[in-house]
Amino acid sequence: MTPERQTDGGVVTQGRSAEGVGPLRRWAEKAIYAPGGLYRALFIVAMLFFLLTTLFPFYFLFVLAVAPTGGAVQLLPALDAMNLGVFLEVYQKVDFLRYMLNSLTLALVTTAFVLVISSLAGYVFGRLRFPGRQPLMLIILAVSYFPPAAFLVPLYQLFTGNVIAGVNLYNTAGALILPFSALFMPLSIFILTTFYRQIPDGLEDAARIEGTTRLGALFRVIVPLSAPGVATAGVLTFIAVYNEFFFSQLMNNGQPENWAPIVGGLLQLQRAGQFEVTYEVMAAGSIMAVIPVAILVVVAQEKIVSGLTSGALKE
Amino acid sequence: MGRVQLEDVTKRYDDVVAVDRMQLDISDGEFVTLVGPSGCGKSTTMEMIAGLTRPTAGRVRIGDREVTNLPPKDRGIAMVFQNIALFPHMSVRDNISFGLRLRKMDAAEIDSRVAEAAEVVELGGMLDRMPDELSGGQRQRVAIGRAIVRNPDVFLMDEPLANLDAKLRVHMRTQLQRLHRELDTTIIYVTHNQAEAMTMSDRVAVIDGGVLQQIAPPLECYDRPANEFVATFIGSPAMNIIDGRGTPDGVEATHADITVPIDGGVRGVDPGVPLRMGIRPEDVHLVDGEVSAGMTPAVGATIDVIEPMGNEMFVYLLTDASGLQGGMQAEADPGELLMSVDPDAAVSEGQAVEVALDRSKLHLFDAEGDAIAHGVGEVASPAETG
Repeated sequence: MTPERQTDGGVVTQGRSAEGVGPLRRWAEKAIYAPGGLYRALFIVAMLFFLLTTLFPFYFLFVLAVAPTGGAVQLLPALDAMNLGVFLEVYQKVDFLRYMLNSLTLALVTTAFVLVISSLAGYVFGRLRFPGRQPLMLIILAVSYFPPAAFLVPLYQLFTGNVIAGVNLYNTAGALILPFSALFMPLSIFILTTFYRQIPDGLEDAARIEGTTRLGALFRVIVPLSAPGVATAGVLTFIAVYNEFFFSQLMNNGQPENWAPIVGGLLQLQRAGQFEVTYEVMAAGSIMAVIPVAILVVVAQEKIVSGLTSGALKE
Repeated sequence: MGRVQLEDVTKRYDDVVAVDRMQLDISDGEFVTLVGPSGCGKSTTMEMIAGLTRPTAGRVRIGDREVTNLPPKDRGIAMVFQNIALFPHMSVRDNISFGLRLRKMDAAEIDSRVAEAAEVVELGGMLDRMPDELSGGQRQRVAIGRAIVRNPDVFLMDEPLANLDAKLRVHMRTQLQRLHRELDTTIIYVTHNQAEAMTMSDRVAVIDGGVLQQIAPPLECYDRPANEFVATFIGSPAMNIIDGRGTPDGVEATHADITVPIDGGVRGVDPGVPLRMGIRPEDVHLVDGEVSAGMTPAVGATIDVIEPMGNEMFVYLLTDASGLQGGMQAEADPGELLMSVDPDAAVSEGQAVEVALDRSKLHLFDAEGDAIAHGVGEVASPAETG
């Protein structure tokens, strides 16, 4: 731009007069002295990249679902060749609705269970002082890092009645809710501990003077005031349970009446056709399965973000 | 019914004794202030009365029941907190009615009692606001409303005015006194502000280091402090304390030319035994010519600093024997004496003056700080002292 700037330490290069700079050089100078445009361009590129990588699998799932049975998969399916009836087929071939209800019920019950128990734990860890609090907290944290597979054999033995005679939880909701709760509890405990710790002591004292027990103060004052934290813990637990594969697959025989969640349903859909693997029906089922979580995330995302960040720096 | 008794109540944290064998007997309808410096155990004492903290030893009685092991909700108490502690997620109405709703009172009764309480604390029309829409003083009034609506036997107030600005604090102070008169309920009030303690209470309990130093009406604490701590804590500016010792015919100061003749010496104190003399600033007087009867012999002093306050004037004196070191000293000069005089007294810094102490207002403390005498009588023959 300004000729004075273009000193090259005495080294003469060809075609470097102020008027004759090349397009690349002009572009670089523009990027340096007025970077707004470049940033915007980079933002768009990065956004498109992330959108593509996150959304393409869903698009591909959709393409797979609407491909005609036995036909070739086209990356850009023709509108008239799309087989949208496949989404109904999901419900006709197996009792997919029942599987979805199973999943939702399991997720809701586990979430409620986890919230109640981890509220009590969060109160204890966040608001009481007692010897061994820190080590105990670390043990809980450690449990959440164990691979779920490590618990499979003992739990399987336990739930199939091989440990205590008469205790047979296999093929029941209990065989799923118990391991789910144990696995996802630590995260909730951590979130709620952080939140409950921040509620001023005076409020709890005031509630107790006014006539509650400690437990009453927890549920009438501390929990309502920690609503973002409770919502975060609840939503994260719900999603985690809904998405869980391992125990969902192994703690039942895959039949809807035995509390098999969506995983079971999808694997049943595999056998929807008589002789061939019906990928298109499975893909359609997968899309249906994603919908509840997608809705939940869209609705609750603001809460989740505020809950996860405010826990760190509030007051 | 609102009588509160503490019998040998002790609270120990690990190896720290926060409250040591506290004995209190507060009668029904009395306004008692627990006062002392930060960390003296006054708040812990209140928490034990409230039931928020369980005593390590001793018993708490409210009315004719022993409540030592009862939870707060069953003690018939209400409390106002320093940080106000309104429930931020509830409206003023819900805050005030919280305790009533917990007791499953019927809605009409709740409404009428809330309205009544709101009227007492002048909060009509604000019942549907949220706490964050109120000013500091209004919030404090809601907290008081929440306390009075349940008709408790005992009110506990833990520095309720500490977070308010100075003007509002004085206003709320008179409001609280009026409230006490109207409700006629026992009030136990914790503060570190001795002005609040003096102005509001029927009796003041001065606490230091977890130990009750004195419990007495405010003026008695002022005029007849049980020990040196009470003497210096109550009253602003603080009482002058002068190191001294007993002599065969009275007391003399160690670092200054102050002598107080007493016929036959101080009773029960042998000559040479160290003593401390205490004299309030307003009981130090300028001597103009003759020393009047009832005064100690005149002491020469130099005026160091003058602080005019408007209604009075504080004069820092360096008594003659002590001025030798000169210069600024970090610790209070042992010969320094604070005097309060009329604002239009003709004094100036650096001036040499003569002062005398009011014998009837002179306090004597032994080496442990316990009071020996409050005022020393007139000497039989003042002429001898000249």
